Amino acid sequence: MLAFKVENLNLWYEDNHALIDVSMDVPRNQVTALIGPSGCGKSTLLRCFNRMNDLIPKTKITGKILMKGDVEIRDPSVDVVKLRTDVGMVFQSPNPFPMSIFDNVAYGLRCQGIKDKKQLSATVERSLRQAALWDEVKDSLQRNALKLSGGQQQRLCIARAIALEPSVLLMDEPTSALDPIATAKIEDLMQSLKQMYTIVIVTHSMSQAARISDQTAFFLLGELIEAGPTAEIFQVPKDKRTEDYISGKFG
Amino acid sequence: MDRKEKKTIQAKLDSFHSRKLWQDKIMKRIFQGSALLAALMIFFISYFVISRGIQPFLSSYGDEQQSLIAFISGNRWRPDIAPPVFGVGFIIINTLLTSLGAAVLSFPISVLTALFIAKIAPPKLRAVLTTIVELLAAIPSIVYGVFAAGTITGLVKDVGDIFGINTYGGNSMFAVIILLAIMIFPTITSLSVVAISAVDRSLELGSIALGASQMETNFKVVLTSAKSGIFAGLALGLGRAFGEATAVSMVAGNRMIGPTWNPFDITRTLTSTILSGMHETSPGLDYDMRFSVGIILLLVILATNFMIQVIKRKVGGVTHE
Repeated sequence: MLAFKVENLNLWYEDNHALIDVSMDVPRNQVTALIGPSGCGKSTLLRCFNRMNDLIPKTKITGKILMKGDVEIRDPSVDVVKLRTDVGMVFQSPNPFPMSIFDNVAYGLRCQGIKDKKQLSATVERSLRQAALWDEVKDSLQRNALKLSGGQQQRLCIARAIALEPSVLLMDEPTSALDPIATAKIEDLMQSLKQMYTIVIVTHSMSQAARISDQTAFFLLGELIEAGPTAEIFQVPKDKRTEDYISGKFG
Repeated sequence: MDRKEKKTIQAKLDSFHSRKLWQDKIMKRIFQGSALLAALMIFFISYFVISRGIQPFLSSYGDEQQSLIAFISGNRWRPDIAPPVFGVGFIIINTLLTSLGAAVLSFPISVLTALFIAKIAPPKLRAVLTTIVELLAAIPSIVYGVFAAGTITGLVKDVGDIFGINTYGGNSMFAVIILLAIMIFPTITSLSVVAISAVDRSLELGSIALGASQMETNFKVVLTSAKSGIFAGLALGLGRAFGEATAVSMVAGNRMIGPTWNPFDITRTLTSTILSGMHETSPGLDYDMRFSVGIILLLVILATNFMIQVIKRKVGGVTHE
């Protein structure tokens, strides 16, 4: 089963051809890692999945991203707000809102018009449990989220995203601003989350990609060089450039 | 490089480093001195106003000694009769009415304007609007006063005529409120623009990625995040409203008995009380009482700032620890 099927995707930021003819599959309930040097297009592709590129003016996209088999996510009939509740996103640095922990997790639901207190509380608890944060914050849900540590903030952002019960979770270098212990916690968390959600993660760390992902896609200068099961990409890469990047010859 | 050469280089470096340390120390003292000077000014002004303003209430003042309670709770201000009556109570109420009224009128408009300038307007329009707001802030209060006396009072008079209310030629509480609302608009707006522009873009993206619309993002995340700066703008704006004397005196009408709750009636503020007749007065009770009113004005502003801090904590739903 596929979460996304990308077909001949091209993307231009004005004259900059940022994604060149990318075709790849993102399988469901697996962790797919997008790797490659800075400016290779991996984050750009990630932002295509929840159409965050819509916010950047003068962006042109051709090709297709099919979701759940047959829905073209850029089709006019697709409600972009619905899409974003179904495809959650976690950003590079933790970006909790300056509100209480509870209000952060309830934010997406409230934007969906859900006001029922019982339902909100239940979802907040479930999300915080799934994000492995509940035990640390259950007694202080009304505390300002900005008082949490960096690692806790990032898990809060994960909780905030999964509160909407998305099918996909996009993660844009989610641990690059965290210390090794907080990183390890997030990586553990991803292993449990992939039971419920499809995870697509952009990472600069090849060891992270090797540790946590099931599928890996290697990008270079806007092109998808190679994609496949992580073990294959790291042990028997087919392309010389993939091998050079993985072995640290450039990066 | 021989040993001797190395030594001279080392000596040069040492003297360079010690000079840097010295410079740091001196600069630190200069900064401290400047901060101290600013703090001293506040202390000095307060001390001067207070020590002078409490004189009429002390027994050492002699025959003309005033009752503090009668002063604070009084509803008449008649320095022109004998013996003169100084009751500031109704003036406090009317000052609060005009200033808070101006804030209630101006605050929402200012914040929405700021949101438009910082987040919605295209870059060119943003530049134009920013300049306009800055120009509004730069207009001297006497010019606002002339404008108010010539235009706002006429407007108020016309509105009063429609309802068949006598408006003393337009000089009224209503005119003061509109005048102050216009005067504090640029203050609140420009501080809010700064605060809103400083909101981290990643917070907005986070909100949009959670399926919020741009408007939901602006109201729920951007304004909440900019709360501190926006309320600082409100505090400064209210400070200006409370402290404005010149323009207010030109349209207040300086009522002698109060308080008045009728917006079309003339009113009296603490500042216009200090100002009116200042040039005709001679040292003595009438002069000293102006300092007493000054103390009250300082207290009112202090209390209002405190109130704003409390409100700030309540809105936006963040619990501060």
